Amino acid sequence: MKAGSSNRSSCGRLDDGALYQELKLMPNKDVPGVELKKYSCPYCLITFDAFEAIKSHIVADHKSEALPESEGTVHLTINGQEYTFQVEPDWTLYYLIHDKLGFTGTKLMCDRGACGSCTVIMNGRPILSCMTLAIECKGKRIETVEGIAASNHPLVEEYVKHHCMQCGYCTPGFVVTAKALLDRNLNPTEYEIREALGGNLCRCGTYPQHPKAIMDAAKILREANREPGIRDAG
Amino acid sequence: MRKFAHIDAHTVDEAVSALRLYGNRAAAIAGGTDLLGKMKDEILPRYPEALINLKTIPGLEFLREDAGVLRVGALTKLEDIGKEPLVCQKYAALSQAANRMASPHLREMGTLGGNLCQDIRCWYYRNPNNRFPCLRKGGGRCYAIDGDNRYHSIMGGSVEGGCYAVHPSDTAPALIALNALVVTSKRILNLENLFQVDVGKTTVLDADEILTEIQIPKPPDGAKSAFLKFAIRKSIDFPIVNCAAMITIFRGKVKAARICLNAVAVKPYRALNAEKAILGKQMDEKLAESAGLAALSESKPTERNGYMVQIAKTLVKRAILACNE
Ligand SMILES: Cc1cc2nc3c(=O)[nH]c(=O)nc-3n(C[C@H](O)[C@H](O)[C@H](O)COP(=O)(O)OP(=O)(O)OC[C@H]3O[C@@H](n4cnc5c(N)ncnc54)[C@H](O)[C@@H]3O)c2cc1C
Ligand code: SF4
Ligand code: FES
Ligand code: FES
Repeated sequence: MKAGSSNRSSCGRLDDGALYQELKLMPNKDVPGVELKKYSCPYCLITFDAFEAIKSHIVADHKSEALPESEGTVHLTINGQEYTFQVEPDWTLYYLIHDKLGFTGTKLMCDRGACGSCTVIMNGRPILSCMTLAIECKGKRIETVEGIAASNHPLVEEYVKHHCMQCGYCTPGFVVTAKALLDRNLNPTEYEIREALGGNLCRCGTYPQHPKAIMDAAKILREANREPGIRDAG
Repeated sequence: MRKFAHIDAHTVDEAVSALRLYGNRAAAIAGGTDLLGKMKDEILPRYPEALINLKTIPGLEFLREDAGVLRVGALTKLEDIGKEPLVCQKYAALSQAANRMASPHLREMGTLGGNLCQDIRCWYYRNPNNRFPCLRKGGGRCYAIDGDNRYHSIMGGSVEGGCYAVHPSDTAPALIALNALVVTSKRILNLENLFQVDVGKTTVLDADEILTEIQIPKPPDGAKSAFLKFAIRKSIDFPIVNCAAMITIFRGKVKAARICLNAVAVKPYRALNAEKAILGKQMDEKLAESAGLAALSESKPTERNGYMVQIAKTLVKRAILACNE
């Protein structure tokens, strides 16, 4: 078989090149009489030689984007970095972050919105990535536990100091939820902390430790705010 | 989850026409906290072929007072409603209900429209892979009535088919006590008339109709409202019983009263007997207690849920007293 020719010809069918030529769908310089026209407009069939020309024609005459993105294209920012994905409608945000992107800090426990271990921060709100469709996150700003750790947030150190985990599976969900709370309220009471963590379940029963760690982290952040330059509280 | 098409609606009309195109084979998605759980568990005999996203419609997420009427967009998140000082001061029952709904995360995602249109939580109905094809799915029998019905209706089954699944919404009774109206893509309804018990349905909305706004008229002068919820845990859990009341007291006497229970019947249950029992009378603890008795005078608990009657009586009493503080 000739290199580059379609292997379909071996099944007794026309190879693709010959098929296209036969149907005159593809310009072919070698065939006399076939006019070389490169790009034909999908709306009005006018043809153009240059790609840029057809793009500006579509924008100007058909008032449409030249290269519309498909429904499943999602641009979003995760931990400060911009990404573009092609997603399926049934992908959850959890699946995208954890399985596709490899940010394994986000955990899946119940997969039904009932435990908080898959929490991420989306545009400032602590939300459940298992109950969020990735295709509905266009243009969103997302923060995962990896981003919180990379920013040297005092929560991480305080969680270690106060032994807030036993098996540790629920911990990222707690830390992310606590970070969202501290972003809104730098001086939370113990009651406010308990309320904010109301959607996070821990099967090991580490509950009493969390308010202590969070209040200490809040204190560090408040002090840092008072002495600008020592640490970036963001 | 199985495959489905996904359409971002950009206007209410677009959502309506997309829903119409699919007949009843599509579903609108708001926060998705109820819908996605149903889809993951494949509880229904039919899977939606498409989801029509309402979150991409601008202008459905708002909360403001217009000429004394509180207007809340259907896509407004429960967290934002619960934390809004205006709601807290003037429409306390709604604020308290929003703040007790599910968990903080679910309130950051769940919308008011979704909360009113959510599906029932009967554990037979919700059992994965359509394990119990019951009356509410077009099947032949109710599994709860002979089975474990500890969280089912204490006010009898629906007339239509004998379903005993309770309506689980926390905000519905609060909004009914506050005399709310709902605006849809084709009509305005009294919220009390939104609910319906039918195969695959909890509301009277047509397949191509969506909720756009909830309106609460100016409460009467001197009216106070309150919402109480009984659940096993303080957070995450659905109500076992909840109750909201709006009471107007003038010179110590009850001038007006609206009381609504939920999770006790197939629809939110307006306790008209309790309202009648206290109207024009001197407000005190005894009167509130008699209202609790009156509210449950028509109750007919099933084998395992007699305890809910006692909880409901107490919540009615406490909700009324909370309006007198
Ligand atoms: C663990 C857990 C605990 C929960 N606890 C509670 C609780 O304590 N109390 C409570 O009340 N609920 C509870 N819920 C249920 C649910 O989270 C809430 O009812 C929530 O408010 C639903 O809103 P949503 O926007 O996420 O709805 P979605 O899931 O998006 O929609 C729910 C249904 O309503 C329809 N719908 C949504 N918006 C509209 C609209 N504008 N017009 C027409 N139809 C619409 C959808 O098609 C769908 O059928 C809980 C859920 C979970 C997972
Ligand atoms: S109570 Fe209703 S939803 Fe539950 S099994 Fe019976 S018919 Fe089905
Ligand atoms: S895994 Fe998402 S809430 Fe449990
Ligand atoms: S530390 Fe084990 S689940 Fe929380």
